[in-house]
Amino acid sequence: MKKIIAASALMCAVASEAMAEIKVGILHSLSGTMAISETTLKDTMLMLIEQQNAKGGLLGEEIVPVVVDPASDWPLFAEKARELLTVHEVDVIFGNWTSVSRKSVLPVIEELNGLLFYPVQYEGEESSKNVFYTGAAPNQQAIPATDYYLEELGVEKFALLGTDYVYPRTTNKILEQYLKDKGIAADDIFVNYTPFGHSDWSKIVADVVALGADGKKVGVISTINGDANVGFYKELAAAGVSADDIPVVAFSVGEEELSGLDTTNLVGHLAAWNYFQSAESEANDSFIKAWKDKMGAERVTNDPMEAHYIGFNMWVEAATKAGTTDVDAVRKSMYGLTFPNLTGGVAEMLPNHHLAKPVLIGEIQEDGQFDIISQTSEVPGDAWTDFLPESKVLVSDWQGLECGMYNTDTKTCVQLKSIY
Amino acid sequence: MSPGSVTLNGMNTVPRFITACLAALALLVLTPALAHASLDELLQTNAKLIAKSSSKTVGPVLDQLQQFGGEQAETFLTNWQAKKLYFIKQTGQFVLAEKAPNSADGKKRMLIRDAVTGAEIGLVPAKSVKQIKPNSGVRSKIAATLVPFQLGSPDPDIRETTLKTLLRDIQPSHLAPLKAAITAETVPALKAQMEKAYVFGMLAHGLDDIEVEAAIRSLAGDLSLDVRAALTPVLDSSVRVAVALPDQANVARIIIPGRTTRQSDGSAGRLSAFGGKDAELSVAAGYDMMVDAGLAPPFVTRDMRDDALVAAAIDGRVASFAIADLNSDEARDTAYQQLVDQGRAPAMVSPLARQQAVSGAVFFAVYDNPSPVVTAAARDVLNDIQTMVMFYKYLDLLLDALSLASIYFLAAIGLAITFGVMRVINMAHGEFIMMGAYTGYVVQLFVPNYTLSIAIAVPAAFLVTFAAGVAMERLVIRHLYKRPLETLLATFGISIALQQLAKNIFGTQARPLTAPGWLDGAFAMNDVLAISNIRIAIFCLALLFLGLLLYVMKRTRFGLETRTVTQNPAMAASMGINPDRINMLTFGFGSGIAGIAGVAIGLYSKVTSELGADYIVQSFMTVVVGGVGNIWGTLAGAAMIGSLQKGIEWFNPSNTLAAQTYMIIFIILFIQFRPRGIIAQKGRAVEA
Repeated sequence: MKKIIAASALMCAVASEAMAEIKVGILHSLSGTMAISETTLKDTMLMLIEQQNAKGGLLGEEIVPVVVDPASDWPLFAEKARELLTVHEVDVIFGNWTSVSRKSVLPVIEELNGLLFYPVQYEGEESSKNVFYTGAAPNQQAIPATDYYLEELGVEKFALLGTDYVYPRTTNKILEQYLKDKGIAADDIFVNYTPFGHSDWSKIVADVVALGADGKKVGVISTINGDANVGFYKELAAAGVSADDIPVVAFSVGEEELSGLDTTNLVGHLAAWNYFQSAESEANDSFIKAWKDKMGAERVTNDPMEAHYIGFNMWVEAATKAGTTDVDAVRKSMYGLTFPNLTGGVAEMLPNHHLAKPVLIGEIQEDGQFDIISQTSEVPGDAWTDFLPESKVLVSDWQGLECGMYNTDTKTCVQLKSIY
Repeated sequence: MSPGSVTLNGMNTVPRFITACLAALALLVLTPALAHASLDELLQTNAKLIAKSSSKTVGPVLDQLQQFGGEQAETFLTNWQAKKLYFIKQTGQFVLAEKAPNSADGKKRMLIRDAVTGAEIGLVPAKSVKQIKPNSGVRSKIAATLVPFQLGSPDPDIRETTLKTLLRDIQPSHLAPLKAAITAETVPALKAQMEKAYVFGMLAHGLDDIEVEAAIRSLAGDLSLDVRAALTPVLDSSVRVAVALPDQANVARIIIPGRTTRQSDGSAGRLSAFGGKDAELSVAAGYDMMVDAGLAPPFVTRDMRDDALVAAAIDGRVASFAIADLNSDEARDTAYQQLVDQGRAPAMVSPLARQQAVSGAVFFAVYDNPSPVVTAAARDVLNDIQTMVMFYKYLDLLLDALSLASIYFLAAIGLAITFGVMRVINMAHGEFIMMGAYTGYVVQLFVPNYTLSIAIAVPAAFLVTFAAGVAMERLVIRHLYKRPLETLLATFGISIALQQLAKNIFGTQARPLTAPGWLDGAFAMNDVLAISNIRIAIFCLALLFLGLLLYVMKRTRFGLETRTVTQNPAMAASMGINPDRINMLTFGFGSGIAGIAGVAIGLYSKVTSELGADYIVQSFMTVVVGGVGNIWGTLAGAAMIGSLQKGIEWFNPSNTLAAQTYMIIFIILFIQFRPRGIIAQKGRAVEA
């Protein structure tokens, strides 16, 4: 009932039927739990399309956005994707946030040969012919952050805290294996999963603090998602845990999430992303200015927004190069395309449908922004992690091998469509 | 200060201490060769390491700066640590920079000063300098380097922060300045902390066993985390294997592979049949150790055997066997045996032989610290502390359970009135909690003083939700009193509408409801038993409400009328009570209390439109488990659910979600046996 009311109340398809030639579908939740994060991405897409139209559109046509609301309801994502492709006949879709919603959309997109740009950091272990992953794979976020803990901060004991769903579980599985490979004993890895929206953190924080009783340096790797973070950081501050004693690196906390928090007690805790608003480059300055002009001075930019920025501009470039918005033609001209990212480097689209991006680690500052203290050169995204034995042998190469799940041992393509 | 002058680096005290860090030793030897004429020269030689610092490579630079000593080096280190240091991109010169007014053409500019002398250099374009941002690993190393400089600082605040750094990582070079600082210290609290730091320093780097033992004994009964953190490494041990137990070694425990576990004090424990710790060493791992030590031949696994057979295959044959025949384990064993006989492969060891070999050897762990006096003292003290820690952990768990119970009680108490007393199934109860929390947020927008704003927010939240409750009763519930199912559906619809309304007004992002400063932090008995002040406040609030509610329901006319109307509305009406008015007020009262609960809950977690939905299930559970229609029952229900949840979390620390699932299963079972809850209502009211 909740679904029906929310969906019927807010669903809107903004399509002007008369002159639309090139349509871009936007598949982000505008209601429900994920609306917190996804509404921003819808606004980002509208801004990017507006900017492109101001520059004369694409292939001489105007780009028309088609916005639908999947209402944070994972099966509804599949229905809305089908609606975009069959009813509105869009040329490309930008959308999704949670991994579970992406998994729900995959079969539809592959069946109808659509094209999806997915802008959020995710757990990897996937490569679909019809999806470009512009967010970070684990080797572009989780692994470098763990290395930073091991090498720079000398952390010897790890607490992996996560929300209970596919992204934290898969990431933590990879990290656990990675840490064991690095010589961390199983006893020194503490794992905990909490439900979405968890608020009673006192016991878990006490458990983490107690880890330090044997004199080893403790670090927290947090894959806690959504508003559960608010209670978690409040309890940390109340327990008097400073970043110098027990640092917390978060993979799902960005500028947007921090704007809902009193950050004075969080100064020094860390986050790992491919982009921070505080990055110094001219492209970033003008991106932030355009965003604030459109949405208001108090609004902030974040990593998935940059992913959409790169993804959309690459798609425009690929369509211009191909001279058409036909999915297969665009897909083929995507490979090897480069586009300046907002942190001052160049993003390149790889044949495995992932981007090469730099990894940034930032410390939370009092004003809710991040101070970038570590920045690598561009790291190529890896669809199949090298740290799990069953994935180690797999590679994805849609250009040369024309296969997203290729077993290098048996030299065969395991699957062409996604059956996970 | 000239580079040759004596500094506080502990050069002359080195012979007293083991310098655990070999690099530091090497550096002390090399120092004369590396000595720099000026700080400038030292910095320029190491420019790259400073500008792009990593905690792995920064050590030598810091050691040199410490050697160099003097006020300038201290200032430089302090600025570096505070991220105030910049360098000029073209020349690489280190400068201090601060924002200056923009130039006439609107370009950003910086005012720069020399990093060493502090002399002003002038205005430059902001783009020509780059900030140096040491990461927190580097910053903590810088802080450690600054310790000898700052322990003698005249400012007690600086001494205190220095001491904190010191307690995190005590190095041998810190001991001498620390000892000097203890004698000079005038603030008693700081002095006590310094003495404690010195004890830790002795533990980690002390040479004299008697002194170290005394230091350990002096820590007896101290439950703080840093004491345990300092004591545990003393009991570090490494596992060895030998034919017989050596006489000289400081043996921690004898290990029987597959049978014994390692306990935190370094002694051996027995493997429990009820799960818990795994055996410290498996038979296979034990055997591998024997192989590494040259005490046994390597163990050949099936895979290794098959690999050896494949490698030995020539022309479709392995030794005298056809490959096609090697389709059973026995055949492969025989073929492999032939390879062994020919000397082409290592002999196979049967699992039984492996077991026997392992039983024949002695496995034991040796303390890394060679002195039995020291390890025995550490073990005694640590064991005593562990016992106390366990005791306080149970107490802490109890406090956590109490705190959770009080939160559930607060969330449910409004429902105890509307559902418990009036029997209205109000699915929008959670949204009243949310409304209260948002009221608190809005009040904070207008009243910046947090204490005052909370004082205003509590009655304001009551009024807002009271009004909302009354409106809802008048408009919807009144017409559905005899139809519980419709009430449920209607209030559920209202709850969704209210959630969406909150999203439209306040957005979907979580909003902060900040507690006043005096509620920050925690009440800590020791490092084990601690509870955040905000939870204590919520607990007090819950108690206050319990009293208030009991008073209103039992001692006031309004309470009496409410109870009358609930039991028999027709009779009450004939006695001159207006049932409609009483129902409306009662519903408003219950909703108003939910609003106040919302302020309390918002203070400790977050304010979102889904806040209420998180608590509605628990609230109904609390009321039903406790016994419908009874305030004491709600209290008992909250206490039971809170302690149950914490108890299950205790057993299953890695999955909070599972703890909640087990709890719900338990409650379903409980309701089966006591359908009327813990405190069941008796008499005619039951059927009403």
